[in-house]
Amino acid sequence: MSAQKRRTFKIEAFKHRVEIDPKYAERTWKVLEHAIHEIYNHNASGLSFEELYRNAYNMVLHKYGEKLYSGLVTTMTGHLKEIAKSIEDAQGSLFLEELDRKWGEHNKALQMIRDIMMYMDRTFVPSSGRTPVHDLGLNLWRDNIIHSSKIQSRLLDTLLDLIHRERKGEVINRGLMRNITKMLMDLGPVYQEDFEKPFLEVSASFYSGESQQLIECCDCGEYLRKAEKRLSEETERVSHYLDSGSEVKITSVVEGEMIANHMQRLVHMENSGLVNMLVDDKYEDLARMYNLFRRVTDGLLMIRDVMTLHLRETGRQLVSDPEKLKDPVDFVQHLLDEKDKYDLIISKSFNNDKTFQNALNSSFEYFINLNNRSPEFISLYVDDKLRKGLKGVSEEDVEVVLDKVMMLFRYLQEKDVFEKYYKQHLAKRLLSGKTVSDDAERSMIVKLKTECGYQFTSKLEGMFTDMKTSVDTLQGFYASQHAEIGDGPTLAVQVLTTGSWPTQPSAPCNLPTEIIGICEKFRTYYLGTHTGRRLTWQTNMGTADIKATFGKAQKHELNVSTYQMCILMLFNSVDRLSYKEIEQATEIPASDLKRCLQSLACVKGKNVLRKEPMSKDIAEDDAFYFNDKFTSKFIKVKIGTVAAQKESEPEKQETRQRVEEDRKPQIEAAIVRIMKSRRVLDHNTIVTEVTSQLQSRFLPNPVVIKKRIESLIEREFLERDKADRKLYRYLA
Amino acid sequence: MAGRKCRVRFNVGGKIFETTATTLANAGRNSMLGALLDESWNVRQPEEAEYFIDRNPACFAVLLDLLRTGELHIPPNMPEKLLFREALFYGLLDKVRAARWGAFDGNRLHLASSVSGRAPGDGTAIRAGPEGGCCVAHGSMVHVYDWMLEAHPPISLDFQQVNDVGYIDAGSIVITARERLGKGDGGMGVFSASTGELRHRFRVTHYDQVKSFTAGALSFSNADRKIFTSCKGRCNEYGIAVWDQDTGEQVDFFYEQLDCSLGDADKLQWLDADKCLMVATLFPRRDTSFIGLLDFRAKGVVWSWSDANASVSASLDEKRVLHATAVEETRSICVVNQYDDLGFIDLRSHAGGVRWSSRSKLMNRKAPNEESCYPKLATHDGQLFCSMNDGISVFCGPEWVLTSTLRRSFGGSICDFSIGGDRLFALHSEENVFDVWETPSSPII
Repeated sequence: MSAQKRRTFKIEAFKHRVEIDPKYAERTWKVLEHAIHEIYNHNASGLSFEELYRNAYNMVLHKYGEKLYSGLVTTMTGHLKEIAKSIEDAQGSLFLEELDRKWGEHNKALQMIRDIMMYMDRTFVPSSGRTPVHDLGLNLWRDNIIHSSKIQSRLLDTLLDLIHRERKGEVINRGLMRNITKMLMDLGPVYQEDFEKPFLEVSASFYSGESQQLIECCDCGEYLRKAEKRLSEETERVSHYLDSGSEVKITSVVEGEMIANHMQRLVHMENSGLVNMLVDDKYEDLARMYNLFRRVTDGLLMIRDVMTLHLRETGRQLVSDPEKLKDPVDFVQHLLDEKDKYDLIISKSFNNDKTFQNALNSSFEYFINLNNRSPEFISLYVDDKLRKGLKGVSEEDVEVVLDKVMMLFRYLQEKDVFEKYYKQHLAKRLLSGKTVSDDAERSMIVKLKTECGYQFTSKLEGMFTDMKTSVDTLQGFYASQHAEIGDGPTLAVQVLTTGSWPTQPSAPCNLPTEIIGICEKFRTYYLGTHTGRRLTWQTNMGTADIKATFGKAQKHELNVSTYQMCILMLFNSVDRLSYKEIEQATEIPASDLKRCLQSLACVKGKNVLRKEPMSKDIAEDDAFYFNDKFTSKFIKVKIGTVAAQKESEPEKQETRQRVEEDRKPQIEAAIVRIMKSRRVLDHNTIVTEVTSQLQSRFLPNPVVIKKRIESLIEREFLERDKADRKLYRYLA
Repeated sequence: MAGRKCRVRFNVGGKIFETTATTLANAGRNSMLGALLDESWNVRQPEEAEYFIDRNPACFAVLLDLLRTGELHIPPNMPEKLLFREALFYGLLDKVRAARWGAFDGNRLHLASSVSGRAPGDGTAIRAGPEGGCCVAHGSMVHVYDWMLEAHPPISLDFQQVNDVGYIDAGSIVITARERLGKGDGGMGVFSASTGELRHRFRVTHYDQVKSFTAGALSFSNADRKIFTSCKGRCNEYGIAVWDQDTGEQVDFFYEQLDCSLGDADKLQWLDADKCLMVATLFPRRDTSFIGLLDFRAKGVVWSWSDANASVSASLDEKRVLHATAVEETRSICVVNQYDDLGFIDLRSHAGGVRWSSRSKLMNRKAPNEESCYPKLATHDGQLFCSMNDGISVFCGPEWVLTSTLRRSFGGSICDFSIGGDRLFALHSEENVFDVWETPSSPII
């Protein structure tokens, strides 16, 4: 029914039959037949259209439509058979030209024949269900020329041969090709069936052979370059002389033969495959691979998988390399470099593909968390940058560095561990006044705040506030004391809010009497202005500048810690003290004391004390002497504390324990929040919900969650369901 | 022939006509005149040539005027048929049809023609074709008329009682017919409008078995190329069948559900905007009226209305919904009752009842008598049409104000009417007459 388009209705004219000459039809047809011959013989100029039209009209009118139509078919078929013969006789390359020329002539003749037969086309054809004249002409051309046994295969072979020669680099007559394929398209499905199908088959075998050959002798990059060239050639070919509908088909053939079939081999090609490209930053080759593989199913998936695998493997090696672990700054710098490298590859070669970015992120997340010291190292990296690394660097560059750190921070699962360390490191920076730029510090805090929210940074911000108020307090203190302080020691106090700072429970040490006096004055002043507060001295965190005179009246200013100051003050009265004596006099905890003594006596160039016996380590029966012979070319000597910048193993354990301890209330709070809204839940759902609520800070261990649930049951926040033990109920 | 000669001289049956190439270009290349002037036929024509055409000069004058002005004026002494024949010779019949009457407007209609039929019994249905023709179903026969109102060979499907007819396009007519008990005939077929030949017979298959069925109401979706028919079969083939217009194959079957009777539907209407089919099964075919919207993608009735609950204490005087049509512009369904009251049901609400329009009561209503027909409704281009006894009322505007009445003095009440091809056809119950209403072409100024 689809062929039935709008048609005009036939009018039955002349109901009364006119007696006409019985030979009339035959005679009229002869005139028309002659005209058709003349048209095909390019001799139409002598014909009268009006007369021919009237003749054809009269034949239809007098019910000779059938005769007219069948006569037309016979005559046209006869001419086409002659044309077929002349095309068959055309030699060699003239074949296509002859075909093209005859096709043009046939079209012209067909148009004129249709003009003559227009009335038949309008009336007889629709009512008798025949094919309209124009379509009839095309069908007859198809059947007598294109499907003629001597032309059909020759035409196909000629076309395919020309295309093959063009693929091999020869120049062919594209205009002629276009005319011929245009003819096949005009004939409807002929183009698809008689040309396109075999064309695609031949192309497939051509590219299958070529790709086999290429893959044996080319490296991956070169192969891809050639494949890309072939693809663009085929697209160009389609635009020049094939039907635009063939483009998708032929490119998919090339893609299938040259890429999809060899994907595995290309990606893993030795010395030039994907991994090598990634390692050597071959942006162009990578971009080419991306653009080619994108065209085939699972092509990008393959690139992504191999890249992910490679990334995870190199990342795993990086974070577990004991050499790298020695220097946290270097460790983090390596991570950042690796990230920069891949960011550049993805933006330059992979079209900023989101799925690749995700793969990169997930890989980083995977291997950064393989090493549980990553949070500490990242914090140390920031510490390093904020202590010295950023000196003289412009504000924008500082932002860049911090942003990169934040990116690593995002990968961390245990963000709370990072927070712990960051707090410690920040405290040290603030208290020792070592921070390079307040702006940089604050910018980092703001970044953490936007990333993790207010709670995460509230304590960090509290630390800054404390620092600021301390300055004011101290000013106030000295303003009130101006009369009484003569040449006694100057005291600089930082008042730290408990809770905001990572304070260790500090054993108080015995301060020298000179210091105690002014300390007491400060305490009185402070408690006088702030009622209801308590002050505890954190002697383990302070520093002191003391002036010392050595032999030959050499004067130096020593920058030491509070503990070291206490020790050195003892030597004001005696020149020799045993370890035990020092320990008794100062009451400094043993581990700290040993560390202090080590830095005072065992560091070359800073040994203001002399130890007996001379050894690297401090033993309990050692004795210490004032080193009279101490010399230094500096007036100011900074005596550091021998302390690993990185945490020692026991410290690490301790930090971890504290982190675990801090997590407990958070997990409990999450459980209660969830149960309060859901009332009844089974165990697995709680675990999932808690994990999803807390994962912005850390990844809670299911065993720990279970323990917390049990603890909440004990404290009667929850109860187990009486019927189903797997269910928990919230008790309001 | 650009610039070569802009004046063209004809000698038609001895009379000389002169015109311009521009005027003749209006005829188009696919006309006799277009071919006559084409380069391929004028290779050796000298300048100032004269074309001889052995035809009627008076008709040529009318047609040349049509090409010049786009308007058709037939002198009173010239038979229309003569002009049509000449127009067909020149390949200008389509242009004559296009100029014959104006764009449809319910308020400007005038009675163009009355055609008396030759059927023995009462008319069942009249349907307008897309190009101005129509077909009339009487008993088992369908009479087909083209836009010139010439009768074509009548068609029938096995001489069964015809239930409904409809045009797929100007050349193809679908007929649904009732099955005779025990004969396994009836069903549905496509016929050529010009010759009356059966082109395709539709089949209902149920579990791969071809079933005989009675086909009822028809509707077409030209955008989706689908035909919808209400079907009643022997066993459980009750429901709405869907066919493809191009292949003629059954593509879907929507089975009748418990609370909606689909196989008996009086009226189907495809709603293009909603991609839904309105199905109305109404009194008196069923005691309770049901109107629903079927969504074939969701396979369900997405909206429905029924008076099943309202008519528990049914009395004869109660308002019964007798016909319905969906008005897509206002998202409502318009219904009519035995008192010729219009009512509206809102498609946007699922709980709404019929909001009867009080305005229609103002019209002087004749008491329903034996001879009256059930009222019918139709919409076209924002206008609502309702047949009431021997007239058709036209309602317009958002409040559906009565704006025109189409009535003439004889023929009895109107049993069916249809709008299409910019014409309105009304079939009268007596005398087998149908009227053709057209909008005249635009005024000169």
